[in-house]
Amino acid sequence: MVTRPSRDRSLPTFISLVVLGILLMTFDVRLQGEGVVQVLRSGTQAVVAPLQKAAAFVVNPVADVIDSMSNVVALREENEVLRAELAEAEADLVAVQDQIARLELFEQLYALDSDIPVLGRTVANVIGRPDPSDASIIIDKGTSEGIVVGQPVIDTNGYVVGTVRSVSLGTATVVPITAGREAITVLVGSQVGIVTPQVFSSEMSLTIDMRLEVFDAREPVLAGDRVVTSSVSSSYPAGLPVGVIVFDAVPSTNSLTAVVRPFVDPDRLRLVVVLAWPPDPLASTDTTTTTVPATTTSTTGEG
Amino acid sequence: MRSRTVALVVGSIVVAVVVQTTLFGRLRLITPDLVMLLCIMLAMTRMRSEAVLAASFLSGLMVDLLGSSLLGLRAIVFAAVAFIALRTADRADIGRAIMAVWAGGLTMMGVLLIIVIGTVFGEASLLGAGAGSRLIWVPVANLILAALFAPLFVRLVDRDRTAFRYL
Repeated sequence: MVTRPSRDRSLPTFISLVVLGILLMTFDVRLQGEGVVQVLRSGTQAVVAPLQKAAAFVVNPVADVIDSMSNVVALREENEVLRAELAEAEADLVAVQDQIARLELFEQLYALDSDIPVLGRTVANVIGRPDPSDASIIIDKGTSEGIVVGQPVIDTNGYVVGTVRSVSLGTATVVPITAGREAITVLVGSQVGIVTPQVFSSEMSLTIDMRLEVFDAREPVLAGDRVVTSSVSSSYPAGLPVGVIVFDAVPSTNSLTAVVRPFVDPDRLRLVVVLAWPPDPLASTDTTTTTVPATTTSTTGEG
Repeated sequence: MRSRTVALVVGSIVVAVVVQTTLFGRLRLITPDLVMLLCIMLAMTRMRSEAVLAASFLSGLMVDLLGSSLLGLRAIVFAAVAFIALRTADRADIGRAIMAVWAGGLTMMGVLLIIVIGTVFGEASLLGAGAGSRLIWVPVANLILAALFAPLFVRLVDRDRTAFRYL
């Protein structure tokens, strides 16, 4: 039998802790995760990160085996689909070679320079998640590899995953776009809009799709239309694929609302790429340099 | 003796957080909430109620700091779970199965609280794909782990080999 002292102060203690917790939540909402909260997160990550990395070194092979065994059928099907896509992509590549050669010739003839900056990329392994209820992911690269809070993250196909929320020396936490609180400025066709995470219920299931809002809509959007990041966005470089329109939508008094299904499922991520965005402002304003040199610090995944 | 208990509790919390974020962060099968389970198991020990509540609050805060959700959300929830556990621990101490079901029930309450409080404060992603399965499988996983490890944990913390010896 569990016995407790007669002077039990658990209720006042509990009430005090709840009040403190609500204050912390309000504080975090007001600061929007910046300032002191950011410092606390980074500090805690710095303390726990070495243990997480050591545990991930042992755990990841075991988790991979369990994952593979439980998904054998799905993996085989996915393998077949990927083989077909690879064959198609190789055929497209052959077709495009001639056009690339012509482009290079024109660039030489007319002394054209590409002004598209080449972004630094850091490949990182996904080593875990903070909590079953938390959609964010933890990666095994941190400030020692040049990762900075706010940098955009994409998957190996180039699809948008999210942004770096907090970073320590050896790890970083990435918040997926489906779990973040900030909207993303996107482009659908020629129309600029914003997407925000939204919970939709469909046939007894809840899905995290995204809500697209275009405030100056001129034309409808169709199911299957591709949504990409806009050049107006300050969080992502332009042109990164975000998702696809789920249902047709028509403008209603200059505004349009649609559902976007993201390309990336954060639960299935194993490798991500962190982009060095925005690029170094000094290098981008230097007129004697035509392109920003690639500072790729790619690291192969676990192996 | 007291410092030993503190070291054991702190070490358990750190191990639970690390295992939760790495092993169970990767597996998509049954995923327990080890830190919440630890708070429930602490309520079964002879530790002072205030210490149990404080440890639960701080462990929840640690999980919040490692994640991206609102700071203080899991701190409140874990403290609430620990408070209910403290108030009902006597009724659960009649058998391993009852104790396990009690731990699973508290876990379900905790998951529900995370979803409700988080949604009220704007964390829409908590109420999304997987919310229903989390409400079922996280408590089931905690129920199984509690049945297997809770008595041993209590004996270790209280240094009492006769504690929770079920027939």
